[in-house]
Amino acid sequence: MTFPPWHPIHLITGLTVWAIWFVVLYGGLSVACEVVPPDPTRGPLNWLNALLWLSTLVVVGVLGWAAWHCARGTPENTQPNRRFVARTSAGLYFLSAFATLVVAVPVWFLPPCI
Amino acid sequence: MSEQQKHSAQLHEQFDRVWGNLPGFGQLAAVNHTSVGLRFVVTGLFFFLVGGVLAMLMRTQLALPEQEIIGPELYSQLFTMHGTLMMFLFAIPILEGVAMYLIPKMVGARDLAFPRLGAMGYYCYLFGGLIILSSLALSIAPDSGWFMYTPLSSSTFSPGPGSDFWLLGITFVEISSMTGAIELVISILRTRSNGMSLRRMPIFCWYILAMALMIVFGFPPLILGSILLELERAAGLVFFEVAGGGDPLLWQHLFWLFGHPEVYIIFLPAAGIVSTLIPVFARRPIVGYRWIVLAVIVMGFISFGLWVHHMFTVGIPQLAQAFFSMASMLVAIPTAIQVFAWLATLWTGRVVWNLPMLWILGFLIIFVAGGLTGVMLALVPFNWQVHDTHFVVAHMHYVLVGGMLFPLIAGLYYWLPHVSGRMPSDMLGRWAFWLVFIGFNMTFLLMHLTGLLGMPRRVYTYEAGLGWDWLNLLSSIGGFVMAIGIAMFLLDIFLHFRFGRRAPRNPWGADSLEWAVAMPVTTYNFISLPDIRSRHPLWHNPQLPFEIEEGKHAMAVIRHGRRETWGSDAVTGRVREVVHLPSHSWIPLQAGVVLAIVCLSLLLKTYWLALGATLVAAFIMLRWSWVNGAHPDMAPVRDDDPSDPPLHSRTHDGPGRWGMLVTLMANGSFYASLLFGWFYLWTASPQWQAPEQGPLALMPLLASGVLLSLAVVVYQWLTQRLRRGVTRHLQGGLWISAGIGLIHVAVLVWLMLAAELTPTQSAHDSVLAVMLGYLLFHGALSAVATAMQAVRVRFGYVSAQLPYEPLVLQPFWSYTLGVFWLSFAAFILLPMAW
Repeated sequence: MTFPPWHPIHLITGLTVWAIWFVVLYGGLSVACEVVPPDPTRGPLNWLNALLWLSTLVVVGVLGWAAWHCARGTPENTQPNRRFVARTSAGLYFLSAFATLVVAVPVWFLPPCI
Repeated sequence: MSEQQKHSAQLHEQFDRVWGNLPGFGQLAAVNHTSVGLRFVVTGLFFFLVGGVLAMLMRTQLALPEQEIIGPELYSQLFTMHGTLMMFLFAIPILEGVAMYLIPKMVGARDLAFPRLGAMGYYCYLFGGLIILSSLALSIAPDSGWFMYTPLSSSTFSPGPGSDFWLLGITFVEISSMTGAIELVISILRTRSNGMSLRRMPIFCWYILAMALMIVFGFPPLILGSILLELERAAGLVFFEVAGGGDPLLWQHLFWLFGHPEVYIIFLPAAGIVSTLIPVFARRPIVGYRWIVLAVIVMGFISFGLWVHHMFTVGIPQLAQAFFSMASMLVAIPTAIQVFAWLATLWTGRVVWNLPMLWILGFLIIFVAGGLTGVMLALVPFNWQVHDTHFVVAHMHYVLVGGMLFPLIAGLYYWLPHVSGRMPSDMLGRWAFWLVFIGFNMTFLLMHLTGLLGMPRRVYTYEAGLGWDWLNLLSSIGGFVMAIGIAMFLLDIFLHFRFGRRAPRNPWGADSLEWAVAMPVTTYNFISLPDIRSRHPLWHNPQLPFEIEEGKHAMAVIRHGRRETWGSDAVTGRVREVVHLPSHSWIPLQAGVVLAIVCLSLLLKTYWLALGATLVAAFIMLRWSWVNGAHPDMAPVRDDDPSDPPLHSRTHDGPGRWGMLVTLMANGSFYASLLFGWFYLWTASPQWQAPEQGPLALMPLLASGVLLSLAVVVYQWLTQRLRRGVTRHLQGGLWISAGIGLIHVAVLVWLMLAAELTPTQSAHDSVLAVMLGYLLFHGALSAVATAMQAVRVRFGYVSAQLPYEPLVLQPFWSYTLGVFWLSFAAFILLPMAW
């Protein structure tokens, strides 16, 4: 099912995706460190950090696309109520993508399980 | 008196007859939002005063080194009770009270969507608060700190009843927060006046919507944590004791999953007050309305991703800490968006520096400073350095007093004429402001330094000569200056009821609908309900209050004797139905009293009494549910029932169904917290032990699930037919669904008894027992509620014309089924596959 850019569900979808990703990031890291911790001598260059980055890039890509979709779908002549929801949603998707990227920055330079 | 005035007076009389409270003791049966909201505010101020007195006692003790005015035991009780009172019994309830009072007036409604729920919430708050407070009077108050860390709060180190008072009392009080939040969400989304679309909604409503949804998702983890800890203390189950496979850190996670969003739950409504007042006094619309909406939504989500920054010192891996550190800094962005929008509004407006604006100015200065120390604390190395020092205490007070108390007082001054019809004293108000502002900064600005010099929090005294002496003395003096300021503010409020000059209508020149209500406020808010064509209805049409009063807009007829308001579309605000609301009722008070008895009997460990009171409470709730819809006391079917739009109880999708969905969101958050606890203990608890063979018999459990699925299928089939207007076999079908549901419950009970769980010895079995209890409760409630629907069909309260109630219950059945199979997968299948 697809929702038009002015559907109110977009007001919460971006940040919900961010929240789920955040839980998976923290939970996944904790479980992986408990079960199969990567070699600590390799620093941040290991399979777990790579996986965390991959998840980040996928989520940022999806959220960025959604932001573009909502922004593009509301030209100036769109009905005002619809434009309000769609443009706010576009901003929220963009900020969700930004939040995803910012939270993942430490994955570049910190080992996962120490 | 002109003809028009006579007509308005007649309308007022007619409306007041339907909406007015009962006289004398009958006031206790009041359910309308104005009465209930004001009661929350007054009670909240009472608890604030008590909490303030406790703070003064602590500052007296700390004023000089090595004092023995207050001993360590009492001091521990004081700081625990101070935090508990201020956070749970003052900040949240008073802000919810303000919202409950204002929201219907701002959205052009006559009441909240679920008036009886709000009234019951108030009694839970009042009785719960008094129960907690009584522990202080009896010198058995909780003393483990307001966040009750285990194992300090566990029975080994806190064997007295203090922790029990906290756990049971706070859980009782949280009923009120939750009921308030649910009815605020639905009222904002579904009872706005015609044409008030989302983009025309007053900005305050966005803040309250976010706050209420945060309560819905944020409170259940603490409710679960409190239940688990009380079960551990009272019944010996194991959740936080390492020896049996528990983990004390689970408590910290559950507490802060609630506790950090809580800060924003408190801040958001206060920021909503700021965003409401600044445009009024700047004489222009707020700059960046859409940006603020965006910031509020971002804050509502991101604030749930910060909880671990309260746990930086407990031994979490660096990378995980860094995630939370980044998220903690990230939340500064939506805060900054709001601050810049406020500054831009002031910058481009013609600011009138009236009394409420003075308090807003104080807010801006103090809150921004508190936010900056918050960013400092988000940095892990700095956080380690100042952990558990007075620096944290100072930061917390800058954020909470700056971010909540100052805007609250600004708001109280601003809306005071609305309640009393009189203006506050400008002179007393300004004195109060400067005393509070100076006193506050003297106390807490210096406290940052005390913390940086290494003074730990929660010590009842300290040695002389450590460099803390003069700082503590000045902090104590500042505390008393602030207290004098608060006393002056309260004196101003008290005196203004008699000596304040009469307020003109809309005295501040505001733009929002609440100022279209007569002053002092009436019980029904609006004689007629206007169409909304602007975000600033009173600036758009200054005559609107008079037009409303003269009955020139919609729904100005009340001959039917029902309490009614519009039900509207959540996005466009277009009217969809007429919501009929309950009149005054004793049921909320009865429910509150009986639940208080449950709470007290659990405290006194008289479990048979607790069981009996629980059954009485269940009966009262069923009675509550019975007096609904087409019941003669509510809205019996009449020939002149409106049909376009219809009464909500004659539709498929009224506010009650939305209320059920929001309640299930809270329920889902509770269940998710339980799942989190299960996985956390399983993976992180140092002595977790799971038996080789699961204790629950697999096939009977599967059979039980199949029975539940069958009950739900029957129910869904019936409701689908009901939607199409087919009622053949409805009563019989409901009985069948309820019956199968009861058999499912019976099988679960048998399974539980046959499993020979040992919850007092192992965390594994304890969590399993709680999970089974949860499933039992839901199965039993679904079956009983369905049986009641069957009886209602027989009485004619449910029919093709009245299809509403079974449709309200439908999501509950689906939820019950969902959690059963999810539990089956997570608690049974996954351990088998591991």
